[in-house]
Amino acid sequence: MEQKLRQEAKALLEQNKVDWIIGFEPGSLKFTATPLITRDKNDTERLIINPFIVNNLADFLTGIKGRVGIVAKGCDSRSIVSLIQDNKVAREDIVILAVPCLGLIDLAKIERLVDKDRDELDDITREEDKVIIKVDGQKKEFAINQTLFDHCIACELPTPQEYDILLGEPRPPAPELEVSGQNIEKLKETTPGERWEFWQNEFSRCIRCYACRNACPACFCQRCFVEETEPQWVMPVPRWQDNLIFQVVRNIHVAGRCTDCGECERVCPVNIPLRSLTREMYDIVDELFQFKSGMDKEAQPLMTHYEQEEAEDLFR
Amino acid sequence: MTQQSEWEPKLLGFLCRWCSYAGADLAGTSRKKYPANIRAIKVPCSSRVDSLFIIKALRLGFDGVLVSGCHPGDCHYLTGNYRARRRIAITKKFLEYLGVEPERIQASWVSASEGGKFAEVVTEVTGDLKKVGPNQLFAERKLAKEN
Ligand code: SF4
Ligand code: SF4
Ligand code: FES
Repeated sequence: MEQKLRQEAKALLEQNKVDWIIGFEPGSLKFTATPLITRDKNDTERLIINPFIVNNLADFLTGIKGRVGIVAKGCDSRSIVSLIQDNKVAREDIVILAVPCLGLIDLAKIERLVDKDRDELDDITREEDKVIIKVDGQKKEFAINQTLFDHCIACELPTPQEYDILLGEPRPPAPELEVSGQNIEKLKETTPGERWEFWQNEFSRCIRCYACRNACPACFCQRCFVEETEPQWVMPVPRWQDNLIFQVVRNIHVAGRCTDCGECERVCPVNIPLRSLTREMYDIVDELFQFKSGMDKEAQPLMTHYEQEEAEDLFR
Repeated sequence: MTQQSEWEPKLLGFLCRWCSYAGADLAGTSRKKYPANIRAIKVPCSSRVDSLFIIKALRLGFDGVLVSGCHPGDCHYLTGNYRARRRIAITKKFLEYLGVEPERIQASWVSASEGGKFAEVVTEVTGDLKKVGPNQLFAERKLAKEN
């Protein structure tokens, strides 16, 4: 897959079909990959595909001028489709290099499984349904789902639907939605007061670094409401009240565009379970309006469209 | 304690200028009685109301928020209220999931000729808010426990 990607990417640049290639190269730390954005065809030699290509590259599309060849896993492709729906990128300006995704490995889960820091591990290899970890000269085997990000276990679209070049055998979706909803189900069994207290606690840790917003491909506003000063909607000091308002409003603003890709949760430095918000919003939107973000590029964006009769039970 | 018995909910109303605001006016001029708990803000259309306004109102201490616009099909801008409907629906559901009592977020369609309906809506919503009690959502934790 990697070889094919390098060839295709190189050819795209050589034939002047794109101005840029966005993909992944090895990161500076073990078991990491880092985004590679280049116009130089020689750089394509560094492109990789492995279980650590965690970033949602669609995030870079709105900041780049020109035609782009972009490496996309299923989730990334949905974010791209969503950007197309919103006229944020033109379909003809991008070439989607589709990666049929086996799921991404969550290093935090691995660390917990073997009770070691990632730096102490010698190797992690993924096979079809298991992951083998080499540590202290020993080999340890785990079922694949023990090691993947929750959002990968619940992935509804491992292989992009929308693409130009397919880099491998398509993989059928086999989402285990329960895994994703566990936390949410538990929360729903509690009283409103308990739930509010739960989020209050979580957001008292938020340092308002805005990593969640910046990593989110659906958050593309030039000026975010949190930076407005007339009026000042939220205080810049990270108090839980304003942190919570920021995140709630962010979730509402990206409703119908958030694909529950899990980037916000992954990048949050204080481990706030943000997917327990994004997943719920994703489900609310689906339940009320039968709308799944980023699935169909011809579909009207959620918030610009309506049906004559819907959600009327909420109105007096 | 006396505070408890005398407590009156504060309701913030976002009323679209073409229908609900005129409906509120009519309620006044036709001397319909409704609770004085609502503070009304005139908005150009129900679709002007960003969810941010609703949450900010709760943050500022309002006990509930009412968004009211023209009936479906009657929006002065044709489709504004349909869009507002989607936005309010997800806001209400999402906030409910977070732990905000659903009674605090209310919406209605009131036309310019429905002074009576406006009075009814405000009466009902005020009643709902009395049941759920004061909004302590954004109070400091200690406060929330003491009460
Ligand atoms: S990434 Fe986490 S800490 Fe940073 S602003 Fe978002 S929720 Fe807060
Ligand atoms: S809000 Fe979070 S889960 Fe949703 S698209 Fe943005 S980064 Fe992904
Ligand atoms: S003008 Fe009344 S809802 Fe749009």
